[in-house]
Order: sequence, then C-alpha cells, then structure tokens
Amino acid sequence: MSLLPLFQWASQAPIFAVMRDSKWAFAVVEMLHLIALASFGGTLLVIDLGVLGIGLRSQPVSNVARDLSRVFLGSLVLAVVSGAFLVSANPMKYYYHPAFRVKMLLLFLAVTFNFTLHRKLVESPIGAALTVSTKLSAVVSLALWFSVGVAGRSIGFL
Amino acid sequence: MSALEICQWINGTNLATSIRESDWVYPIIETVHVLGIALLAGTVAIVDLRLLGIVLKRERVSRIARQVLPLTWAGFVAMFASGGLLFLAQASKSYVNPAFRIKMLLLVLVAVNPLIFHSTIYRSVGAWDDRTAAPGRARLTAVLSLILWSGIIIAGRAIAYF
Repeated sequence: MSLLPLFQWASQAPIFAVMRDSKWAFAVVEMLHLIALASFGGTLLVIDLGVLGIGLRSQPVSNVARDLSRVFLGSLVLAVVSGAFLVSANPMKYYYHPAFRVKMLLLFLAVTFNFTLHRKLVESPIGAALTVSTKLSAVVSLALWFSVGVAGRSIGFL
Repeated sequence: MSALEICQWINGTNLATSIRESDWVYPIIETVHVLGIALLAGTVAIVDLRLLGIVLKRERVSRIARQVLPLTWAGFVAMFASGGLLFLAQASKSYVNPAFRIKMLLLVLVAVNPLIFHSTIYRSVGAWDDRTAAPGRARLTAVLSLILWSGIIIAGRAIAYF
C-alpha cells in the first residue's frame, strides 16, 4: 500500500487551497507548530528527565506523568494537526523529501513506543519509576523524540 | 558608533562570516535554538500552568518551581548561546528586521516579569503553596508569561519572513 494517492489528493483538495496559496497561512501554522513543540517538549522533558532523577524528582513520577498527560496529548495533537496542514501546502514536495520521510518514520516509532511500552512503565503506580527498565525506557523515549525534532528541523535545510 | 554600525561591524567579523557561510554550523546552531524552546519555554509553561491550577495540582508550587528551575536555566543557556551566535552571523539583517526588534522587546518584558513576581507575591508563597490555584496576582504573572513566551516564539519564527 502506498500513501502516494493520499498526497496526490491533498495537492488538489479545495480545503487546503489557502495553505497552498497564502504565504502567511503557512507562517501562522508554522508558529502554532512551534508553540505545540514547546509545550509538548516541556512536558516530555519534565516526565522523562524526572524518571532519570533530573528536575521533578521528589514527586512520584507516575503522578507527574498522569497529571501532565492532558497537556502532553493536547500538544501532540496540535503538533500533528498543524504539521498536516504544513504538509498540505506542498504535499508532493514532502512526499519525496528524505528528511520528511525519516521524520515520519521516527514519529511513528516514538508515538508507538510511547503509547505501548513507555507510558505503562512511567504511569505504573508502584513507584516503578526508578527501576532500570523505566530509566532505559525514558532514555529511549528522549532519544526518539530528539531525533524527530532534528529530522523536522532538517526538512528546512535539505 | 551607532547601533547599526556596531551590528555592521559584528556582521563583518571572521566569526560571523564563518558561521554564516558554513554548510553545517549554521543549521546545527539553529537546530539547538529550536529544540531549546522546549527546555526553556516548555518548562516555564509547566510552572505557569501549576500557578493557574491546571497541572500538578496536588504538588506544592514552591517544590515544582524549585525543581524545574535548573532545567529552565539549562534551556536559557542553550537558547542565549545559540541565539547569540545566530545574531552574530546575521547582525546587520537582524538589526533592521521588525520581527527581530519585537522579539528583543518581548524578551526584555519576559525577563522583567519573573523579577517582579519573585520580589512581590512569591515572597508569601508559604501562605498559598498548597492551594490548587495561586492568588490572583500570581495567576496574572502566569498568564502574562504564557502570552509573552508565545509571542517570542511567534516573533522568532516571523524573523524568517521579513
């Protein structure tokens, strides 16, 4: 199965016309994408670095993770939706862009890892917070999301 | 020497030229600058949201503020250093860029905000540490901080469009 037809459809779709035609629409959505990055990255860092004993370490990590999960999810959704609109400005450019492809692969891995393994370990109530596997999971999570960020920034340079 | 002349001189230094003309150094500095947003503005936002009673309600304000602060400082150092180098490389262009000027103004305001906060309402934090939402004046500072940081991100991104 190829995603090519989806990108071809998006190149023509009337709902994305404003993204294709207006320089400022792209700029405004890009700003939203960055604000989403700030709040997503902030919660991610506070949770994962907390597991590693940096920052919020005197609170049970499971409480912190559950308390912040709405901000985490909300900003992830904002980042994905704004990102989709950015792509819609020129879908075929992104479809063939190597950095974009790497970013999507890393994003898929990061999201999958987060919602399968990582979240369960970090939110488990029995302060499992500090077991080796939870710490390892936090390191993997930070590395994956950092790579998503680097790949994302590279789209503008390659 | 006027400010413009100083910027032009900076722009012409060897360091500025070599950053500007390098294939890799400039993109790497910019990547650090963008990802540093999470460490700086993201961690500030968590403290602001705690003051507003939106996240981490059961935790004491002072404990959150104290423990998040080292991360925020680390973010500040990364942002200030990378931002400084980006400015060096584009000093003449930046000086006349309206988005850059607005960003600098917002940065001054965002620095004044916590100074006022810490020298006034935060002194009595012991009295409201446990409350879900902080007193009105502290909540006002939190809202201002969220607005100013968003403005800084927006103005920063807009620099590329002028």
